[in-house]
Amino acid sequence: MNLFPNAEIIVIGGGVAGLSTAMQLAMRGQKVIVLERQRLGCGSSGRAAGLLGQLRGTAEHTRMLADGMEIVKDLEQRAGVEIYVKTGSLRIAETPERAQEIKDLVAMGKSIEFNIDHISIAETARRLPYMKTDDLIEACFSPTDGHLQPAELVSAYHKVGKGLGVRYEINCPVEQVVIEAGQVKGVKTSRGEFHAPVVVNAAGPWSYLVADLAEETLPTAAIGHYYLTTRPDPNHPVDRLSPAVRNRHHRLYTRPESGGLIVGIYEAEPVEYDMEKLPKDFDMSSMKAGRDSMNVALLIHLAQQRFPWINERTPMTISTGIMTFTPDGKGLCGPLPEVPGLFHCSCCSGHGIMQSPIVGKVMADLILDGKTKYDLEFMAADRFHDLPGYQERADIKRKCYEMYASYYGRVERPNAVAKN
Amino acid sequence: MRVLILCEHESHGIRLCSRSAVAFANLVAEQTRGSVECLLLGHSVAAVAQDAAAYAPVLVADHPALANPLADRYAKVISDVVKQRGCDLVVAAATTFAKDILPRAAGLLGGAMASEVIGHEFRDGQLCFRRPLFAGAVVATVALHGRPKLVTIRPSAYPAAGVRAGHGDITAVAVDEGILPKKTEFEALQSKLSNRPDVTEARIVVSGGRGIKSSEDFERLVGGLADKLHAATGSSRALVDAGITPNAFQVGQTGKVVAPELYIALGISGAVQHLAGMKNSKTIVAINSDPEAPIFEVADYGLVGDVYELVPQMIAKLDGAL
Amino acid sequence: MKILVPIKRVPDTDQKIQVKPDGSGIVTDGLPFVINPFDAIAVEEALRIREKSTDVAEVLAVSVGTEACEPQLRTALAMGADNATLIHCDAPLDPWNVACVLRAYAGRYQPELILMGKQGVDDDFSQTGQMLAALLDWPQATFASKIEFLGGGLRVTRETDAGLEIVRVSLPAVVTADLRLNEPRYASLTSMMKARKKTIERIPTAQLGVVIEPRLQLLGLEAVPSRRKSVRVGSLDELLVKLRDEEKVL
Repeated sequence: MNLFPNAEIIVIGGGVAGLSTAMQLAMRGQKVIVLERQRLGCGSSGRAAGLLGQLRGTAEHTRMLADGMEIVKDLEQRAGVEIYVKTGSLRIAETPERAQEIKDLVAMGKSIEFNIDHISIAETARRLPYMKTDDLIEACFSPTDGHLQPAELVSAYHKVGKGLGVRYEINCPVEQVVIEAGQVKGVKTSRGEFHAPVVVNAAGPWSYLVADLAEETLPTAAIGHYYLTTRPDPNHPVDRLSPAVRNRHHRLYTRPESGGLIVGIYEAEPVEYDMEKLPKDFDMSSMKAGRDSMNVALLIHLAQQRFPWINERTPMTISTGIMTFTPDGKGLCGPLPEVPGLFHCSCCSGHGIMQSPIVGKVMADLILDGKTKYDLEFMAADRFHDLPGYQERADIKRKCYEMYASYYGRVERPNAVAKN
Repeated sequence: MRVLILCEHESHGIRLCSRSAVAFANLVAEQTRGSVECLLLGHSVAAVAQDAAAYAPVLVADHPALANPLADRYAKVISDVVKQRGCDLVVAAATTFAKDILPRAAGLLGGAMASEVIGHEFRDGQLCFRRPLFAGAVVATVALHGRPKLVTIRPSAYPAAGVRAGHGDITAVAVDEGILPKKTEFEALQSKLSNRPDVTEARIVVSGGRGIKSSEDFERLVGGLADKLHAATGSSRALVDAGITPNAFQVGQTGKVVAPELYIALGISGAVQHLAGMKNSKTIVAINSDPEAPIFEVADYGLVGDVYELVPQMIAKLDGAL
Repeated sequence: MKILVPIKRVPDTDQKIQVKPDGSGIVTDGLPFVINPFDAIAVEEALRIREKSTDVAEVLAVSVGTEACEPQLRTALAMGADNATLIHCDAPLDPWNVACVLRAYAGRYQPELILMGKQGVDDDFSQTGQMLAALLDWPQATFASKIEFLGGGLRVTRETDAGLEIVRVSLPAVVTADLRLNEPRYASLTSMMKARKKTIERIPTAQLGVVIEPRLQLLGLEAVPSRRKSVRVGSLDELLVKLRDEEKVL
């Protein structure tokens, strides 16, 4: 069955969500065109750290990510590149509450037969000689986790998609969603009009603005995010297969990168963005953090708590970009009731890279079959529809910011920290 | 205008770039019915003076104290010569030699200086200069107020002057060691193993990607072409990860961000990581065997083919051309 | 010993620079400004000298220009400079003007070392440090990639076209920083807290007795078109001809 035989489908956004969806649609024989405002992957996708942590809050979500990994394997073969780096991942705890969190997580993982187990602090220290471990009381290890290399993933989607006939229009910003008789008919761009019975909104941080064009409300907000990448240091070698670590107490995540270390944080006071206020030609890949940015100072401070050899003088690069968050930190996939034919696929709340393989498949199924084999309620685009408190922009923004800020739990404020 | 050319020399003669300065000086002298002279500073430079005289009359300040190009001494001699001879315009090629010395001379001569000039014109009889700003993204037209005016010119903007008919006079400039500043001493000059400029500063960057299979190949192909173009070398993250190039070479989001006038991408597929580091380059050239590589979408000029075949040919062709 | 570090406020050059339609300047609306990257290297070097030596009394950052320069002086303070001074001037400034102002200020402040970037990445002159050294009649070491203190003076490794040149200069001196001198730090939380409490001294240019007389007059700016041509060339010869004749880069 195909609800739209012979029609061309428009995908707005050439990031991982849009590229994956376009590729999956093409794999099912669909004609697809991707409209990208600048260059493929130059938005959030190109700035992502790409961590893959498969154990999520629900069994269904975990199963989806595992299926997504099969897609990645297939992509690696088709495109001939290494996308997935399997390093394993650790969660570590230094307080009793965090230790309990880990115990619960391991129990949950085991109940759904996910490969996760407790690991001793001594073993943790052995695997991560560059990390401070003497204050840890609990840790767990998932050997099948790792990270996806975002740039390679973008290239692979593009390469495979192109081979399947997907058209990519770059430097082609969408200016209007064309709706006739309540039904999507296409889009207007700076380079003319494109017609299609189905339009996929995969515009990442801009997705709520695309929804606005169709007079729909998509509950997402744009939030700044920072991570550092240290340059290789012979005194603190980081093996390229060293495990990723999530350390909620210090709000940080880390993984190896090119002989150095990526450390990122989910800070309690995120930088807020209104995408509509940014210049028309805003280029996320040109974003840069200042030498006296409070966020960078906090990032370095928190990184130092776990990696004492990192300080403000460590040779490093700071990457900054804009993330898309939803009020509950889960993605938004599928249609909203107002405009038939308009599908949303966006807002993966910091999980865009790892979710994109399976989300593309899910989107193709939703569009062409009207259904998917997964229970998608937790990331259905319409789950906030008509829900009081999620209709006004200001409310949505506040809830999304709160979600980001609480993402890795609370921590001392910089003022308090600086006194130590 | 009376134009003085500050010549830079090697063991046997004046450097090619100084002949571009001569060409600029000749043009201005012609346009203003003026004259040109070369100024040569150094020690035991008689042979070099002979070479310079093939292009213009030469003033030679030959003295042991001038054996090495120390800015304070050189600037002092230059400013004295300029004052004595009433020069209106002083020009040198924009190399580290002149960029060090000439602004210091300008500091002694009233400060009317423009560096890195790529063109000149007369507006209402006033000599104006064109020079790039913002790493070449913008070109400014400027006028200088005061006399003398000092400029450094980009050699690429003025083809080197040829030998002219007749031989210019060679005049010795008296050097009074007693009035030369002595606060700087030359200690040593270490030829760099690699004479290549830093990747973030170079006018031209040649960069290699996954299409390059080993360090030796990188040096031969990317390095070889870079040397031919006086360019810096860069690489994609893939080569750094593979241990083929050092970390300092990496152009991209987690490496260096560059915006040269010319970026030549050899065997680079064009991953977003890499594009973030070079997309603001003025002209981008891509050579890649994969016609679908995304690098072609950001390139001004794309050539599909094997870098192992094409780059050696390119080096050979440039040998013929330059 | 006192170290003076002149700071320039420049647009972040990773951003796209646009020229105003009348060519009178660049569009600055929404353009982020930063401390000139070479000046940040100079600040870093001054801080490292202070950290290594016991006789550095002060690292002072100074800017010449409008109130808009304050954030960049704050950056220098946040990195760890002890104090900052803004020499206030609303008039457009060329390298000669800045050199004259800094000479006058150095006469008052009496630093032993002036450490500055080798060039501003906005107008790319690379003139001010050399002019300043000439005006002060101090020795200079430009394009420094290594600075050592030796016998009351400096031993400086310079990046030149011919290779690495090593010179010795007596103090006081002007040294301009090249890229390889160091990698500047980010501000730490503690240094940012300290910096917030500091006040920036303000001095009007007139108070230094300097009259701003432009030597360099801007007649107009043009953007160099950067739209990608996306031409597939069929051969090396075609490519080389394009680069030589159309782009004029070879």
